[in-house]
Amino acid sequence: MKPGYRVKTRLQSTMTTPFSTSVGRRSGAKRPLASYCLIFAMIIATGISLPGCGGGSVAGPAPDFEAALVLREKLTSATGATEAGEDKPQGTGWATLKGRFIFAGAPGDAKPLVVDKDTEVCSKDGMKLFDRSLMVDASTKGLANVVLFLRNSSRVKEPVPTDALIFDQKNCEFLTPVFAARVGQPIDVKNSDPIGHNTNISGTSFNQLIPAGESTVFTAGRETGLPVTVTCNIHPWMKAYAVFREDGYVAVSAADGSFSIPDLPAGEPLEFQVWHERSTGRSGAISLEQPELKWNAKGRFKIQLEENEVRDLGTLQVPAAAIRG
Amino acid sequence: MNAFAAQAGTKTPSGDLICRETRGQLVPSLFPVWMLGVVAVVLLLVTTTGCGKTAAASYRLNMVESAKQRLKPEQEQQVATILAALFGTPDDPSAPSECGLDAAKLQLAAGPVRSDIVGRKNGLYREHCAHCHGVSGDGMGPTAAFLNPYPRDYRPGVFKFKSTERADKPTHADLVMVLRNGLAGSSMPSFALLSDAKIDALSEYVKYLSIRGEVELALMRAFFELDDEDQGRLPEDREFLIEEIVLPVAEAWQAAEDALIDVPEMEADIDMAASIAKGKELFYGNKANCVKCHGVTGLGDGQVNDYDDWNKVVLQAHKTVQGGLEQADEASTWDMDADEAVEHRAELAWLDRFQKVLDGNALPPRTIRPRNLRQGIYRGGMRPLDLYYRIHAGINGAPMPAAKGTVPPEDIWHIVNYIRSLPYDFNGTLGVDKPMVARDRL
Repeated sequence: MKPGYRVKTRLQSTMTTPFSTSVGRRSGAKRPLASYCLIFAMIIATGISLPGCGGGSVAGPAPDFEAALVLREKLTSATGATEAGEDKPQGTGWATLKGRFIFAGAPGDAKPLVVDKDTEVCSKDGMKLFDRSLMVDASTKGLANVVLFLRNSSRVKEPVPTDALIFDQKNCEFLTPVFAARVGQPIDVKNSDPIGHNTNISGTSFNQLIPAGESTVFTAGRETGLPVTVTCNIHPWMKAYAVFREDGYVAVSAADGSFSIPDLPAGEPLEFQVWHERSTGRSGAISLEQPELKWNAKGRFKIQLEENEVRDLGTLQVPAAAIRG
Repeated sequence: MNAFAAQAGTKTPSGDLICRETRGQLVPSLFPVWMLGVVAVVLLLVTTTGCGKTAAASYRLNMVESAKQRLKPEQEQQVATILAALFGTPDDPSAPSECGLDAAKLQLAAGPVRSDIVGRKNGLYREHCAHCHGVSGDGMGPTAAFLNPYPRDYRPGVFKFKSTERADKPTHADLVMVLRNGLAGSSMPSFALLSDAKIDALSEYVKYLSIRGEVELALMRAFFELDDEDQGRLPEDREFLIEEIVLPVAEAWQAAEDALIDVPEMEADIDMAASIAKGKELFYGNKANCVKCHGVTGLGDGQVNDYDDWNKVVLQAHKTVQGGLEQADEASTWDMDADEAVEHRAELAWLDRFQKVLDGNALPPRTIRPRNLRQGIYRGGMRPLDLYYRIHAGINGAPMPAAKGTVPPEDIWHIVNYIRSLPYDFNGTLGVDKPMVARDRL
């Protein structure tokens, strides 16, 4: 990784050219040739200084100022402030969506994590911690920890639960590798270890010290787009993912790869987003070849359910190429 | 632009020097060559002065985020145009009224350094701040690469030293305090010699750049959320741009003024020796766990390979590019069909551009050191109250977690007292011996 981190100093490259040629001149060459060398060097220096004007940085496109003025006018004028949004079709009743993800490739052995702190607890009795970014059930090939959530809910059946969801850490590992919660739902962040941890949920500014055996409550204030990382800065190998949704229409696939989202709004078009930590897709999106579901490259598919229907998508096969090796 | 001018300036003298040294010998015998020399010098001058003729200052797009989100040039253009509509240009800033920013203060701070009335100067930001923090507030001014820690990049809207809870924005007074006192132990100097009005204007301008940067990030991330039928263009109506994108950012800044941390007074007749002893116990104990990062000796050597949030973004991007290149290396174009080959080439082009962006538009990621508590130098202020804020709320953007909730206020005060005792070596019974600076003892 190191070689990539050079700070480009164009200064140096322009300085060295004239100097190196002037040394050549002193070492006995005849005058006319020397002066040609010199002038040549100066022309090279000019050549180098020309692209220097462009800078080493990648410049993005400049704004279209005329369009900007028109847009500013539109945003500040009271009239036409909001374009009339078309009414989305709304259905009645509720339905369930379920299915099962299986992994078509060979998962390989999980890599052991480097545990170099608090070893008396974290690698007690020779205990080893393993990388959990790809968990495939040996017998059923089920792919665990695939996240699936609804993008466009028009209505919600259940109110936000008030009882706390438990998010625990033990033996220097978060017990839930991927967890989902609703915005406004209290999450009891626990520490069942005899040592202290801190829990840092990216994108939320939550980073709290959790003393041994204690807990603290976190409530997500807004939705995360895709799942965000949960880490412990004291023990850098600890990692989990969290996803917070307003409506709670979210599932994390179980150890056998199965998932089920109940009480979905029926009779209207639904769009789901699918994500996995190790996906090769854009930002972790899982895209499958499912033309009838219009499954696209952003990892989204569309479906409409009938009232009281339990739709089983069956076995959804995630190809080996969709997961980073 | 300053960077280019500076580079061009240093080039000319070195070229000149060689020319003068040789010219005396060349003139009599070699007229045409001498002419050539003149042509070269003129060319050099023309090309280098050309750099000086830059147009009005412009904002730089957040290319790292753009590359991360794989935005197309027309999408970058749309972001630039929306930002110009909402926030104007560096010479003529403005902001939607929802942001509650004072236009007069922004005008005082913005634009090139100039004076229209004797004794009154405009363009304060470019006079005092832009060298390090950059015209766009991206923390990438010409001097940034040479400073450690790097200057703050305002665009994610995260600030470390404040009197509010971890997730909250700083108050206006917090920004004023940082400007007035500087940040001890970093390159941020004190601007106490500036008048209150100027510091006030600069604080407002920092807030403006930060809101602008956060809106830019939100816009760039919004492309992923678009539906297929939007055809890769963000909607340009009030409902989306103002209510969905600008308002959440603006409201967070306004909420900060009421989000002050409630600090209970330390007991007036506290037994300091006992408090320090208790603080020490907490420092090393499993409850506060300070020792894990600040080290057994308090020298800040407990956790030396972590990154702050700003550097983590760049580090993660480097990993993405590296991983992508490795994957691309493994892929064989031999057994690809036409579509796959096109996709493969697009992926390579994206990775190549991302690498260029990381080389040219970001600084090399650097680890963050936990504070060395033996020095008595605290970035965010040395008052006991400042230390209380840091421990209570943690430091946003840094790995330092909040102790709030799990460590009661009286214990936080004990830790503050212990930390304040650390720069001194107590040789004997605490509170009895005269404290001595560790340096003097050695």
